[in-house]
Amino acid sequence: MKGFLGSGAGSNVNRFRLVGVGVFFAAIFITYLIHLFSMQVINTLFYQKQARDVSKRSDIIPAQRGRIYDRNYDSPLAMNVDSFALALTPAEVEGISIEEMVERLSSIINFSSSEMMRKVPRSSSNRYQAVEIVSGVSFENVAHIAEHIDEFPGISWTSKPLRWYNETGSISHVLGYIGGITTSELQVLYNQGYSYDSVLGKSGIEKQYDRILRGSDGRRIKTVDVKGRNTDRENSIEPPENGMNLRLTIDRDIQLLAEKALGRRKGSVVVLQPSTGEVLALVSYPYFNPNLFSLPGPTNFGVLSLDPDFPFLNRAIQSQYPPASTFKLVLSAALLDLDAVDPEKTVTCEGEITIGNRTTYCHKKSGHGPLNLKEALAESCNIYFGTMGMEVLGIDNIATYAQYLGLAAVTGIDLPGEVAGNIPTKAWKQSVYNNTWQVGDTYNASIGQGFVTSTPLQVANEIAMIVNDGIAYKPHILKEVIDPLSGEVVERIEPEILRTSPISYETFQTLKKNMRGVITDGTSNVVILNNQVEIAGKTGTGEVGSDENWHSWFASYGPYDTENPDERVVVLTMVEATNDWEWWAPKAADIIYEGIFGNKTYEQVVKDFRKRRVWYSWDAHLEEDESGGQ
Amino acid sequence: MAGNRDILKFDVILFATTLALMVIGIFFIYSSGVNSSGVSVSSEWIKQIIWGVSSLALIIFFSLYDYTRFKMVSLYIYLVLVLLLLFTLFFGRYVNGARSWLGIGPFGIQPAEFSKIAVIFYLGAFLDNNYKNIDTLKKFVQALIIITVPMLLTLAQPDFGSAIVNVPIFLVMLFLAGARLKHLVYLVITGSLIIYFTVLPAWSEYILREEVLLVKVFTEFATMKYVLIALSVVMGLAGAGLLFFRAGYYYWILYFSSSFFISLIGAVGGRMVLKGYQIMRLIIFIDPQVDPQGAGWNMIQSITAVGAGGLWGRGFLKGSQSHLRYLPQQSSDFIFSIFSEEAGFVGAIVVFSLYIIMLVRSLIIIDRSNDRFGVVLGGGIVGMIFFHVIISTGMAIGVMPITGIPLFFLSYGGSSLWTASMGIGILLSIYQRRYRN
Repeated sequence: MKGFLGSGAGSNVNRFRLVGVGVFFAAIFITYLIHLFSMQVINTLFYQKQARDVSKRSDIIPAQRGRIYDRNYDSPLAMNVDSFALALTPAEVEGISIEEMVERLSSIINFSSSEMMRKVPRSSSNRYQAVEIVSGVSFENVAHIAEHIDEFPGISWTSKPLRWYNETGSISHVLGYIGGITTSELQVLYNQGYSYDSVLGKSGIEKQYDRILRGSDGRRIKTVDVKGRNTDRENSIEPPENGMNLRLTIDRDIQLLAEKALGRRKGSVVVLQPSTGEVLALVSYPYFNPNLFSLPGPTNFGVLSLDPDFPFLNRAIQSQYPPASTFKLVLSAALLDLDAVDPEKTVTCEGEITIGNRTTYCHKKSGHGPLNLKEALAESCNIYFGTMGMEVLGIDNIATYAQYLGLAAVTGIDLPGEVAGNIPTKAWKQSVYNNTWQVGDTYNASIGQGFVTSTPLQVANEIAMIVNDGIAYKPHILKEVIDPLSGEVVERIEPEILRTSPISYETFQTLKKNMRGVITDGTSNVVILNNQVEIAGKTGTGEVGSDENWHSWFASYGPYDTENPDERVVVLTMVEATNDWEWWAPKAADIIYEGIFGNKTYEQVVKDFRKRRVWYSWDAHLEEDESGGQ
Repeated sequence: MAGNRDILKFDVILFATTLALMVIGIFFIYSSGVNSSGVSVSSEWIKQIIWGVSSLALIIFFSLYDYTRFKMVSLYIYLVLVLLLLFTLFFGRYVNGARSWLGIGPFGIQPAEFSKIAVIFYLGAFLDNNYKNIDTLKKFVQALIIITVPMLLTLAQPDFGSAIVNVPIFLVMLFLAGARLKHLVYLVITGSLIIYFTVLPAWSEYILREEVLLVKVFTEFATMKYVLIALSVVMGLAGAGLLFFRAGYYYWILYFSSSFFISLIGAVGGRMVLKGYQIMRLIIFIDPQVDPQGAGWNMIQSITAVGAGGLWGRGFLKGSQSHLRYLPQQSSDFIFSIFSEEAGFVGAIVVFSLYIIMLVRSLIIIDRSNDRFGVVLGGGIVGMIFFHVIISTGMAIGVMPITGIPLFFLSYGGSSLWTASMGIGILLSIYQRRYRN
């Protein structure tokens, strides 16, 4: 009988089967022990690391971003304001549904509850991980929530300072703005202390000096349990190093003056100190309000970035235009320095010139008559300079002197995104257009049109070079780096020579006289009406397209004559052709000189001008004009 | 026989290993209740001492009680437990998502635990009564029905782990009772195929992440029906062949094709009965990284705890995985994880040795058993204990899917400790009565 009666004497069991069961058991136990040996003895370091990793967390203690001041270092242009982020820990919400509580929250902080609910992960009611549901909450609101915390179970807050800009006008282009790091930025900056949740400067000074402003974040290292609760009684803390304060060369009064002088005209203004390269004002219109980007709610950023007027474009350094008649300074310098022609030799302007089979006109169609160099610059005669360019200098000399004067090269200003402009040469045209250089190209280049382009800052620095008799300083915005705690100056930016030109001293003297002549006898004598300072300069009107649209330039400096070179300023104004304001650039510069040297605000200047019956002052906008017009 | 002679024949080794495991259990249940600040926040260990003491009483009671007397009442015990399971299904208390508890207030029992003992009694009695023709298919199927009823009721709670324990109990009992191997193999093959086909769609979805034609053929009714028809034809022909020609290979064709047929249909039922999370548990057993924050979390944390334990362990009360609560249900289902983290490989050897001694002693007791009832009874108990140990430690170390069954004697819980202790008591009783005629 098989089954119960086994082989063993006196046994009721088939021993063979019983031993089979035992062997089966033993085999499995041995397998388990081998597996355990491999886990606990061979690979234990791997698992120990994994166990450590799962429970160690480090919280970032954000460093305070440095403040940005203007050259007066009295009140900050950019600062951090107390602001809080509210976080919700779903598992701690008791006695009320999450929806109800968020609704209640919404009524206090005035922020959409559905926006907040979207941040709360679904089916997370057992989770102890806090999720940030809203940021940018004011201290008052957080104080209110703190006082009534029993009505808001599960709500916690962290200080999340908000970048706040006290001036939100044209200075925005200089200061820039900050924002969360993007994936592509992180790929570049990963090894430089940035992490996936870093906030960094996106443009302007904020971007240029991000490394100085940001400081370095501290860390709080803790051991957390599965629900994310800290279990260490003593945190190990690496304190943050706060960012440095920056003192800029910008004078906010001049900035404001220049901004208002330009008004609502697309264009830019550069005011700089030629003896040091310090930029006193850098205006570009239109501009943006960076404070809007950090407000809760749908971003204004997207709206602005789609604006066809490109409000994010800093026109002073990121746009290149034909320099138009301001380029005649380059030709004047070349003619004088090369001694290529007698400055008194005249060319007769008949209002038009025929090159090949094309006839072009001087801006004065009736013609200027016979002009020497000084008169031609004063009258900005195209025929004179076109003829000189074609017959005396040639494009090679023009290009060489343009480069001597710093055109077609970046100035190296400490702002991101500067463009270089262009000075054409024969080789350049051949390589870009696969076409030979024509004499008409030389004519166009001679009057600052055609392939010649420059940025407003380049032209401003060209003037500075003329003022300094051939020395150009690198334009800069940063003046000092200051320790926020001690107030100590950590670094001072000294004037740095950008280039010196081989052009003779005498050439610069004559050039300056001729520039003064432009104001006293030439094109702009009817608009430069300020009685604070004698200036010298050069106008420019560049044709854009063929619709009688004119870019308006005015490149100038003042005082013309001074004992103290440090009081001199270069003022460059440039108004784009896309508006109706004709020839506003010299008028804006005139207002700026009156303001700087008369120590007046824009409003005072305009009122004074109106009193003096300066003819164009009624075109200068005053806010009170709108509000009743007294 | 005189009582004092029975006492002398008491299996001290089996009793001592049981006691040792229970003591170790209490220590690590205490450890599992200690939070990260070193404060004991759970009184489970005290309750476990009470369960332990009462278990000792149960062991002694069952060891003194003549196990053969259960044979007469085994049907009633069985019926009572089946009714209790039914009752639980409708009126039970939800604990961890399963309607598995019966009780009032804080006191409760898990009928599914005790039903195993009832099954062992009744199946034992059945096998003892039918020992002469247990090798027939008819008796095999009858025996199968005995375990199927409580198994399905437990599965419906749903408590997959406790339900599936009935299978090894059945296999070991039938194996020792002399059932035919081909019947047992048929059951194992079909059962494995059912689970395989049940999981197959989820497997292709979560692990392969692409649609596999073969998977659709076997799992979607539109195509599966043709497979079923084909199989039916094969089975019909083989059946007819067997009837007329009595040739062996017709039998084997029928054997495998019917197993295939049943498992395809069974898998349809399996997918209806098993909840999504239960299928996910099987999936994450294949690859826990499919859902590391969700279904795979428990397994990953448990493996990490065990591995981090190292050779000597991190020391009593010093396991970070457990005290920072990364280990779920550490006092019950995952007690072996906290144990391994704190006691290390050396501790695991000790505990495994204790279980091996316990099972070897149990097999010796079965060998010495005085009657057939004792053999199958012992076999069922051994199968039950072995399965609990292997599944519970196996899931802690990541070689078994998470089914959530307690590690006998170590895990916190009265019902499981009482059930295991009854088993030990019965084994002791078998041992003491080994020379009786």
